[in-house]
Amino acid sequence: MASPKSMRKDAQMMAQILKDMGITEYEPRVINQMLEFAFRYVTTILDDAKIYSSHAKKATVDADDVRLAIQCRADQSFPRYFLLDMARQRNQTPLPLIKPYSGPGLPPDRYCLTAPNYRLKSLQKKASTSAGRITISRLSVGSVTSRPSTPTLGTPTPQTMSVSTKVGTPMSLTGQRFTVQMPTSQSPAVKASIPATSAVQNVLINPSLIGSKNILITTNMVSSQNTANESSNALKRKREDDDDDDDDDDDFDNL
Amino acid sequence: MYEEYYSGLKHFIECSLDCHRAELSQLFYPLFVHMYLELVYNQHENEAKSFFEKFHGDQECYYQDDLRVLSSLTKKEHMKGNETMLDFRTSKFVLRISRDSYQLLKRHLQEKQNNQIWNIVQEHLYIDIFDGMPRSKQQIDAMVGSLAGEAKREANKSKVFFGLLKEPEIEVPLDDEDEEGENEEGKPKKKKPKKDSIGSKSKKQDPNAPPQNRIPLPELKDSDKLDKIMNMKETTKRVRLGPDCLPSICFYTFLNAYQGLTAVDVTDDSSLIAGGFADSTVRVWSVTPKKLRSVKQASDLSLIDKESDDVLERIMDEKTASELKILYGHSGPVYGASFSPDRNYLLSSSEDGTVRLWSLQTFTCLVGYKGHNYPVWDTQFSPYGYYFVSGGHDRVARLWATDHYQPLRIFAGHLADVNCTRFHPNSNYVATGSADRTVRLWDVLNGNCVRIFTGHKGPIHSLTFSPNGRFLATGATDGRVLLWDIGHGLMVGELKGHTDTVCSLRFSRDGEILASGSMDNTVRLWDAIKAFEDLETDDFTTATGHINLPENSQELLLGTYMTKSTPVVHLHFTRRNLVLAAGAYSPQ
Repeated sequence: MASPKSMRKDAQMMAQILKDMGITEYEPRVINQMLEFAFRYVTTILDDAKIYSSHAKKATVDADDVRLAIQCRADQSFPRYFLLDMARQRNQTPLPLIKPYSGPGLPPDRYCLTAPNYRLKSLQKKASTSAGRITISRLSVGSVTSRPSTPTLGTPTPQTMSVSTKVGTPMSLTGQRFTVQMPTSQSPAVKASIPATSAVQNVLINPSLIGSKNILITTNMVSSQNTANESSNALKRKREDDDDDDDDDDDFDNL
Repeated sequence: MYEEYYSGLKHFIECSLDCHRAELSQLFYPLFVHMYLELVYNQHENEAKSFFEKFHGDQECYYQDDLRVLSSLTKKEHMKGNETMLDFRTSKFVLRISRDSYQLLKRHLQEKQNNQIWNIVQEHLYIDIFDGMPRSKQQIDAMVGSLAGEAKREANKSKVFFGLLKEPEIEVPLDDEDEEGENEEGKPKKKKPKKDSIGSKSKKQDPNAPPQNRIPLPELKDSDKLDKIMNMKETTKRVRLGPDCLPSICFYTFLNAYQGLTAVDVTDDSSLIAGGFADSTVRVWSVTPKKLRSVKQASDLSLIDKESDDVLERIMDEKTASELKILYGHSGPVYGASFSPDRNYLLSSSEDGTVRLWSLQTFTCLVGYKGHNYPVWDTQFSPYGYYFVSGGHDRVARLWATDHYQPLRIFAGHLADVNCTRFHPNSNYVATGSADRTVRLWDVLNGNCVRIFTGHKGPIHSLTFSPNGRFLATGATDGRVLLWDIGHGLMVGELKGHTDTVCSLRFSRDGEILASGSMDNTVRLWDAIKAFEDLETDDFTTATGHINLPENSQELLLGTYMTKSTPVVHLHFTRRNLVLAAGAYSPQ
């Protein structure tokens, strides 16, 4: 450990606090982390206090403002009697009976993460001037085989459509590929999900859904593509509310 | 003022008879803390400081950590933020004192000048009086340590069904017996269902076992029946362990985890290992040569023949075979992981306050259960599936079912974080270990706390039930492993040996050996049969809670196995009684 003389005043103070609290063994980086935390916390509180004091039309920030700021920011957990009360209420209802043969036991679909979180926009006249495209390859996947099935031009051609309907072809040996149109051409194979322009839909890609899908997203999609994707989403779900085309819950049109 | 009261009391207790002194000394700590908090709350900062200075050295050594935290609480505002301290102030500290000692104390305190202390005692302490011999210091030291004192005797009096549920009868059809060539000799006989030795003995209901339908449990599916048959076959090959036949230990070391490994679980048949990490990922590895595959896409699934026998193989997509699958979804370190008994699901609990259910067939996240708004430290599936329990920083444990988005039961009562949650083998009870140094046993049916076990001197980090359901072993940061008899609600053993937090415990499959893994980089094996035999369970013990623990840790220790600077985070006995241990290599 560095000798106290070479440490800054505040670092010395932090080391002293650690010693007072009985912590004798710690990595040297801990002091820096604690200092950073202290700085962040104090500045947050003081910022809040400034807001409160200006709200009260005071000239300066005083102790009361700081006190109020601390109180509002504190992790207010429920007091014990509240928890006990809530528990008593909840524990009074009898345990629900289990229906046999009810498939994978999951809560109603609204509470699950199994729904598609994108919606494909229907085919429309190509108005935007998208020139380039970004090909985003899957993270853990090897080479991105580029086959002619990936349209690299923005023009909707029947050729594009017919090829892109082949979901699940060996083209995606390595898995899934996302194609996102960008108005300006940028370097290919950027490994990040770039926010979409208005020309392209559904770019909030839920990583947990990536694993099982084989999705080609381009605006040139036809509804056949749509159904193929949607059906693959409903892998393990009950089919009652399976009207995926009308699924408005997860509409991430505008990002 | 308080200083005088305290000194007066101290003087009185020190002058009392030896036999009473130990019991009356229990008063020091709670009175000290309550008086100090009172002074701080009423904003007498200087008095509080001098009070603390004068008397904090007198307290027992195992309260030193608490006192250090107290020393930093010097203003009323500090107290407001600390839920644990507020609860401590409002709840009563429980002390168990014999009637004689109590009379002595009462007589002294009701003298005119000591009225104030008597008021304080009545306000903040609950004195549980028992008839009988006063306890010795050793006996008291074994039982105290928790944040709220000991447990009232009546808290541990209710009946607990600690027996196991009956195994369902499964007939072993002839087709499945393809490997057992030796004892067949081609005789097409119909074998009687191989029940476990426990079940076959008693046709009648075990009085200590809960009724089968006390809580609704999922029915056995065909795949479960197949699993059970496999289990029974493995059981026949199981090695019987004992002091002269110790298990081999296979250690799975996580390399390059950079202190990020925060949770581990192994499936019951030891085929998969899941690791939860500080980078919010959950990784699943296959331990056997069989790789992990995910289910095919829907378009391909429609093409396979659903009637074929190996349909479960055909739905798997060979192209996705790999040894490792990474599950992304959490937004904070993953502190708890649990496989479902049918190996279809994995649960993970994280600092982001959610518990996530992952499918092990598609390796995607299915549900996020939100309820705790604070880090969830542990989660576990019930031994029969369907239910799971989670415990976190909000001081409660919650019981969930996979098909309900809200918890079914809330187990509230702990004063500090719930660090560890475990189901009883019969799935009717849940044990929780907390940072308030108590272990509580909760009834799933109605959410009541049926047992409170005190005695640990530090936050509890590991719990395990014995396979026969009668005993509970707990490990804490004080390095001790304590053994508890659930039926009687008493401590029956103390295993000393570890020098650091005991973070994993597991009984062998038949309960002969208890394995404990610790942050001191060792695995220790203890003789469980010997620890539990010759239990004194006469009426006196149960009535008064006096325990006499033998100092036999050395005899019970069967072996100490050192790892190379790898804390042992998880222990698992395979069905054949091989020990699997897991930890992350953290070089100093």
